[in-house]
Amino acid sequence: MKKIILTLLFTFCLLINIAQAKELYLFNWSEYIPDEVLEQFTKETGIKVYLSTYDSNEAMYTKIKLVKGEYDLIVPSTYFVEKMAREGLLEPINHKLIPNLKNISPKFLNQSFDPENKYSVPYMWGSTAVCYNSARLGKGYIKSLNDLWNPELKGKLLLPNDVREVFGLALKKLGYSINETNPKHIEEAYLELKKLLPLVKVFDSDSPKHALLNEEVLVAVTWSGEAFIANSEDQNFLYAYPKEGYSLWMDSFAIPRGAKNVENAHKFMNFILRPDISAKISQEMGYATPNQAAIKLLPPEIQNNPIIYPSQEELKRGEFQTDVQDALLVYEKYWNELKNN
Amino acid sequence: MKHKFYFFKYPLIFWLITFVLIPSSAIFAVVFFSFHPTNFFSLPLTLSNFKKLFELHFVQIFLNSLFLAGGATIISLLLGYPFAFILSWLTPKKKKLALFFIILPFWTNSLIRTYSLVLLLGKKGFFNNFLLALGIVNTPLELLYTKIAVFIGLVYTLLPFMILPIYSSFEKMNKKLLEAARDLGASSWNVFFRIILPLTKSGIYSGCLLVFLPALGMFYIPDILGGSRDILLGNFIKDQFLFTRNWPLGAAASLVLSLIMIVLSTLFFKEKKIKFVHE
Repeated sequence: MKKIILTLLFTFCLLINIAQAKELYLFNWSEYIPDEVLEQFTKETGIKVYLSTYDSNEAMYTKIKLVKGEYDLIVPSTYFVEKMAREGLLEPINHKLIPNLKNISPKFLNQSFDPENKYSVPYMWGSTAVCYNSARLGKGYIKSLNDLWNPELKGKLLLPNDVREVFGLALKKLGYSINETNPKHIEEAYLELKKLLPLVKVFDSDSPKHALLNEEVLVAVTWSGEAFIANSEDQNFLYAYPKEGYSLWMDSFAIPRGAKNVENAHKFMNFILRPDISAKISQEMGYATPNQAAIKLLPPEIQNNPIIYPSQEELKRGEFQTDVQDALLVYEKYWNELKNN
Repeated sequence: MKHKFYFFKYPLIFWLITFVLIPSSAIFAVVFFSFHPTNFFSLPLTLSNFKKLFELHFVQIFLNSLFLAGGATIISLLLGYPFAFILSWLTPKKKKLALFFIILPFWTNSLIRTYSLVLLLGKKGFFNNFLLALGIVNTPLELLYTKIAVFIGLVYTLLPFMILPIYSSFEKMNKKLLEAARDLGASSWNVFFRIILPLTKSGIYSGCLLVFLPALGMFYIPDILGGSRDILLGNFIKDQFLFTRNWPLGAAASLVLSLIMIVLSTLFFKEKKIKFVHE
């Protein structure tokens, strides 16, 4: 009798295990992974992927912090990997389970935000710079950030609805870092932005390409992927890396504390890092892949596209966003003031 | 007297406790805590959150929201009142059809309808193309990302909430009163201001409340159609909870918003009560 019960219990546990082993809860940025890639993963491994999306690191962070074990894999930006690891919100990653990690270019590994990649695996990277309508403004209209402050652009400018990106523009113009924590310097940037605000027609982080393509605005500070899509629809939309500098970002996979399907999360990361899969994602989404084996598989027009892959020289001017901690409140205060004056 | 379906009150009580009382009390409690960068809120208890609210241009944010919500309410009333009046004089068959068309947009998500307004109002949108083709304007009108677009969006979304209660009060109105007034020699002006308007007052109150309160908290329409250049109450609260994670401050703002809503609804019900006494 005892044996039967034990056997039953054992099979029961096994069944639960199998049931558990077949799913993965992915919490990703919206429009950041092609559906076919998820379908292919399910087809190859039998693991079903449940995708939820977010539109800012902050929203994702708040959710992870409030509810434990709801998601197995998240895609925070560099400075949020740093912040979440520091606060004990991430599970360490087992490198043995991700042999494809060798495909990642060494220049994206072992960075200061996560030494030895204990908690994160690079997914995609890109830039935030200036996309403009060269048919109306002429080629080379935007070279420097000063060109954005041109009164001629009144009511023709789009900025992202993101406090850090907008302040980054003014900070770079003044020659500071985009990760400034000195309240004095942030205030100086605020005073610069006050002059810029009358030129702004719209703040949009969702889909700035529409306002550009429909000529609602002529200049948009936007992510590289948006500029790539605008440029593929009409070659006259050019993307300029301002000479004072601009912000770079990278999003990485990480496993949140209390994740239920840790093994599947590793399987998924290994699958994504396969050269053919990384190449497919980069080509479809218009963002750069840190996967050097994948780059070789991309068609030359993508490999050499200056919007997706800036040149070495342009890359040097870019700066990665980092966590500004308490200074975020200072930014937020001036942001409120900016929008209400 | 105990009603046959008396036990149905228990799910209702459960609902109110779980989804109204507990969250509202939580918000009320958080107001008195201090900001904490990683824990959302912490001790010590304080009253400074209300003070901080006013340091952060909260009055300006509040006035912006009030202006948009108030404007949308007035426009909806000016459009909805004659609409409801005409509706109540239609034949039953036409009435049914008209009501069906008023309700029809609800079958599509309001966010999607707002995005389609972006396509209609844009420089290369349907509306401007139409005006250009007719030769009414020579250059496309600046509509999208202006206050006009915001009002169009708010009125478009909320107009049915104005029409339906006013329509129902028109339906309840005894039309013979109008004939009687006419027979006794009242002018059109008098008929409207001394009979129609007082009798449809409760519909106007309900309609205004149903438009004003949602408009006050609705932030995605001003964001999408107005270009997010102003911070409104709804955005402010959302940002405090999700972005800066300053929960006590967000709670203070949402408490102020709730108080305004409570005051307005109380005024409304008081008005209604007076009417019942008259009856």
